[in-house]
Amino acid sequence: MTHRKTMAGIAMLGLTTCLAVSAEAEDLNIWTLNFTSEANNNAINEIAKEFEAAHPGVKVIYTQRGVDDHKTALRVAAGSDSGPDIYFMWAGRGLGGEFVNAGLSLPLDKYYEQYGWKDSLIPTAAAFASNYEGGLHGVPYTFKGEVVYYRKDMFEKAGIAEEPKTYDELKADAEKLAAAGIPAFTFGGTVNWHVMRLMDVLLETKCGAETHDKLMSMEVSWTETPCATEAFTELKWWADNHFLKPFMGIDQAQSTNLFVAGRAAMMLEGSWFVQTLSEVTDLDNIGIFPFPTGTDRLYGFAEYHYISAKSKNPDLAAQFLDYFNSQDVQQRFLGTFTTNSVNSQVTYENQRPLDAEWGGIFEGYDQMFVNGDQAFPLAETTEYFRLINEVANDTMEPQAAAEAMQKFIDSQG
Amino acid sequence: MKNLFRKMEDEPWLFLAPALLIYAIFAIWPMIDVTMMSFQRWNGLDPERVFVGLSNYRYVLTQDAVFWTAFVNTVIWTLLSLVCPPLIGLLLALGLNQPLVGRSALRAIYYLPVIIAPIAVATMWRWMYDPFFGLFAQMLTNWGFGTSIPDFLGNRETALYWVFVAYVWQQVGFSMVLFLAGLQNVDRSLVEAAQIDGAGRWKTFRYVTMPAIMPTITIVLVLSLIQSIKAFDIVYGLTGGGPSQSTQMLALWAFTQSMQIFDFGRGGAISVILLLITVVIVIPYLRWSMKNEGRS
Repeated sequence: MTHRKTMAGIAMLGLTTCLAVSAEAEDLNIWTLNFTSEANNNAINEIAKEFEAAHPGVKVIYTQRGVDDHKTALRVAAGSDSGPDIYFMWAGRGLGGEFVNAGLSLPLDKYYEQYGWKDSLIPTAAAFASNYEGGLHGVPYTFKGEVVYYRKDMFEKAGIAEEPKTYDELKADAEKLAAAGIPAFTFGGTVNWHVMRLMDVLLETKCGAETHDKLMSMEVSWTETPCATEAFTELKWWADNHFLKPFMGIDQAQSTNLFVAGRAAMMLEGSWFVQTLSEVTDLDNIGIFPFPTGTDRLYGFAEYHYISAKSKNPDLAAQFLDYFNSQDVQQRFLGTFTTNSVNSQVTYENQRPLDAEWGGIFEGYDQMFVNGDQAFPLAETTEYFRLINEVANDTMEPQAAAEAMQKFIDSQG
Repeated sequence: MKNLFRKMEDEPWLFLAPALLIYAIFAIWPMIDVTMMSFQRWNGLDPERVFVGLSNYRYVLTQDAVFWTAFVNTVIWTLLSLVCPPLIGLLLALGLNQPLVGRSALRAIYYLPVIIAPIAVATMWRWMYDPFFGLFAQMLTNWGFGTSIPDFLGNRETALYWVFVAYVWQQVGFSMVLFLAGLQNVDRSLVEAAQIDGAGRWKTFRYVTMPAIMPTITIVLVLSLIQSIKAFDIVYGLTGGGPSQSTQMLALWAFTQSMQIFDFGRGGAISVILLLITVVIVIPYLRWSMKNEGRS
């Protein structure tokens, strides 16, 4: 009898403990990408551990996937009751907007006010949260600018004394480079988004900020807006005369190799490219300048963390994001996610000159325009890629490309 | 054991049921679901799929700028697949059927690409095709043709054929092995009799060997045909359908529509069209093989 009582006591204790643990334990599920940088992967896990230590009973579970798997998993999650509390996605109406429109993202106005994120975050990075209808969506994870990287030795050889300030100066410099036997730009055509960057900045240059945005949001016609054809015409001019050829059969990694090997003078790349170059070439020979679009917007994009509308712990999720973007965490992991932090209070010391230059560029702008593949919905993006390649490959005339773009937009209903 | 075999004879359905169930869940149901989806509009996010009748088919067949390119490419690819890998495979099999030194090793070497994952083959060939640092570019430069290195994968007129070369490299071993098996069954006495009667190599092959391996030729052609219609990985890995969608294939375009653009309706419509084409080709083959089975 005594033995039976003892066993029953142990069983009760076990059951009580289990119930207590399950009542206290809170899982915070975060779905994100499998980042190529191991330092990045280690950092997010370390931040998760720190948060767990500060919040007993909370377990932060990171699920990392490749880009396509991640998108598919989110679609499955959107149609079910299970899914993450926080998910990674790019900002902008295209990729991020699709999930916001589908109701997967929770409006965060309350948390922006509660945690004072508007004050602590870099305005250009946080601006994307206001892009959507129905409130503020998402919190910036990283934001990245894209500018022209150039080789100083080649500019010098071509007799170019200073960085171009206007689009016409850039074109004149391209001619000087050509006269010195140097192709101006190298692009990798197999990944469609690489050449697309040039088309994006040309649209901004030829159309101006407002019309460019209207073209990307399909509010104005590509056929009836002459600057769209002009931008395609400029693309053709660059591809015909100033691309390192052949370019359609190589990707962006091969194109980087060519730039490093001194086969072309310029690349249109992002803020992450400083790290890439630092591993393979002498950074003292590299300079950067924003593509001279003539508008006051920086070309780039942001990556965001969104809180799922289906999260059972939205308060906890917001608490975690506040911790993730806090000055302390961002300062300690500075340079791990990207060159610059999304937190405006982070200080920068002992930076490489190019990183410091990037800091100046970010400070110089308070508006951004995003990459075409993040501004357009997916179907339009695929057609945009095709038409850019057709024009760059000299198999379609600029006017026909603008018409085809509009025809496709119309066909989508 | 004896009882088990007896039970199998009495109630074969009982033993077929598990396999049939798995086949129904993982093959039949997806086909039905894709067919249903081809009449709906769904982006994978909306809670409901909207019935749109034939509009996905109408769009794909009349408005999609890429579908017909993919269709024509699939036809070209299929026709080439019926000629090149089987022909080269047959020649290799004839050569390796001779008493050569290192014959077994050579057979293994030629068969090796078949067991490599197509995506790995694509990666390897992409680097070989690099117009600046690739193997072929280096070879052409060394031979003095440095100024005329083609943009293997970047020229929309020729990219498909360069991708096909990589495909042939991978597939030829498959045809070769089947032909080798067929050649083992050729009656040696008939070959020797033909030679004694004065038939040369070509006549012996034409009138003795070829009729004997005709069933193998048919199998190789049908399997090559089915495999070519499904061509996906190697194109995906080498060009992703580019440049400007000029190397798109039906299978890849169906995947792109469904899994990258997330238009499951249009992706489904392309898949159903591809399925119908495959069925039209496969049914005569099945009838032929069942007839042969019946005869034997």
